[in-house]
Amino acid sequence: MNVAFYPGCSHHGLAQEYDHTSRLICSHLAVNLTEVEDWNCCGATAAHSLDHDLSLALNVRNLAQVKRGGHDSVVTPCSGCFSRLKTAAHEIRHDPDRLAEISRKLECPLPENVEVRHLLQLIVEEYSLDRIRALVKKPLCGLKAAAYYGCLLTRPAAVTRFDDPEQPRSMDNLLQALGAEPVTWSYKAECCGGGFNASEPVIALELGQAILDSAKNAGAEAIIAACPLCQMNLDGRQGEMTPPFGGKYDIPVVYFTQLMGLAFGYAWRELRFKKLIVNPRKLLEKYCLL
Amino acid sequence: MIETYAIRRPEAQESPIARQIREDLGIDVARCLECGKCTGGCSYAAGFDYTPRKIIQLVKLGEFDKLLSLDALWTCLSCQLCVDRCPSGINIPRIMDYLRARAHRANSNITHKNIEKFYEIMLSDIKNRGRISETIMMIKYNLAIKNLFANASFGKKLFLKGKLKFFSPRTHNIKTIQPLFRRLSEKDGQA
Ligand code: SF4
Ligand code: SF4
Repeated sequence: MNVAFYPGCSHHGLAQEYDHTSRLICSHLAVNLTEVEDWNCCGATAAHSLDHDLSLALNVRNLAQVKRGGHDSVVTPCSGCFSRLKTAAHEIRHDPDRLAEISRKLECPLPENVEVRHLLQLIVEEYSLDRIRALVKKPLCGLKAAAYYGCLLTRPAAVTRFDDPEQPRSMDNLLQALGAEPVTWSYKAECCGGGFNASEPVIALELGQAILDSAKNAGAEAIIAACPLCQMNLDGRQGEMTPPFGGKYDIPVVYFTQLMGLAFGYAWRELRFKKLIVNPRKLLEKYCLL
Repeated sequence: MIETYAIRRPEAQESPIARQIREDLGIDVARCLECGKCTGGCSYAAGFDYTPRKIIQLVKLGEFDKLLSLDALWTCLSCQLCVDRCPSGINIPRIMDYLRARAHRANSNITHKNIEKFYEIMLSDIKNRGRISETIMMIKYNLAIKNLFANASFGKKLFLKGKLKFFSPRTHNIKTIQPLFRRLSEKDGQA
């Protein structure tokens, strides 16, 4: 399967391990990724917050680059980029007249019918759980994991058209297929506040902590992320959060691609677990997964 | 006996800002049922000065100055939760975007200047390089808010993990990106 790949800015730095393992899992599943030629930033929260049309324009350019590379389908591992790209694709479909000016400025026709998917979505839509199960060499037996979807992966439903925005299940099912035990918890689709990680950390810490507490109370030993912003907030800021009953948080926040790799038999080093701030080594050793 | 009374039809007395929102965004706030589901689900309503439901009421009432100076415009997380909860399909974060953009252009009384600054720095990075360099952006932000040690312990952790990069790839054909900034933002200024 051939598809265009939009890595997003964090993949150069803060989420190198996610970028690496995303590409690794795709090659393992025979998904042939071609990086979008000369892509630009999706504008993230900044663009739509100050200038909605700019946000659309930046992503229309990205989608046009996808087309230019001969693709009709693009995949990204970042929920933030996914949301911005998909919103642009949605507006092209539903309100092309409003975007006419943008296409004039870009000097290219509106890139119509480009399918935008998050990496998790592509995997669960293209591969049945049976096929995933068949690839598992080292089942993640016993590992109690909280599948964390966050806000933008499934919302708003009319735009994302993926899973249930209130009670998503796709990652839980995937984890189960890998042999892990997904826990039932109520914060799987809440917002972690990661967008304010740098600009207003008080909010990011407050919302992030609520997610850690909920996961812990549900008995999870690890939180599984599908977005670099969420991961960075829940993992990197964990040391600054104070649990309500004293002590320290010590719950690894792992990318779903890293867990897939582990179950498929890749080694610790190859999966770049060491890049995570909260080290998952002890946890993985406990279940003899290393 | 249940009393009957004439229903006040909001559309009969649509406020100027409600009309602008309807015309520019295609969102009709008259459809708000005041059910409060948006507020009930909102990720950060507890920290807002006006909750999402009340913000829609302010729009109906035409409280334009109040709306532009809302703190909630800057602390809304754009998490889209209220969009899926609203039985009337009112896209609150889209309205927030619209009002925030206008507050930004009008240089009005913005309470969370730091968040505005952060967005500005990010956009100037995109305008100049096409992509963001997280490291450079964090340094610029700390300089802008005059706090060199903001996020210091977080930054140190990232540094030790080799995640802070001073050089990161950019978009080559930057000429195709810059016009998007200039002309579109001018247009938005008149909105
Ligand atoms: S988008 Fe803003 S207003 Fe809506 S639920 Fe999220 S934080 Fe609240
Ligand atoms: S959820 Fe929708 S209808 Fe209900 S109060 Fe909020 S905006 Fe109004």
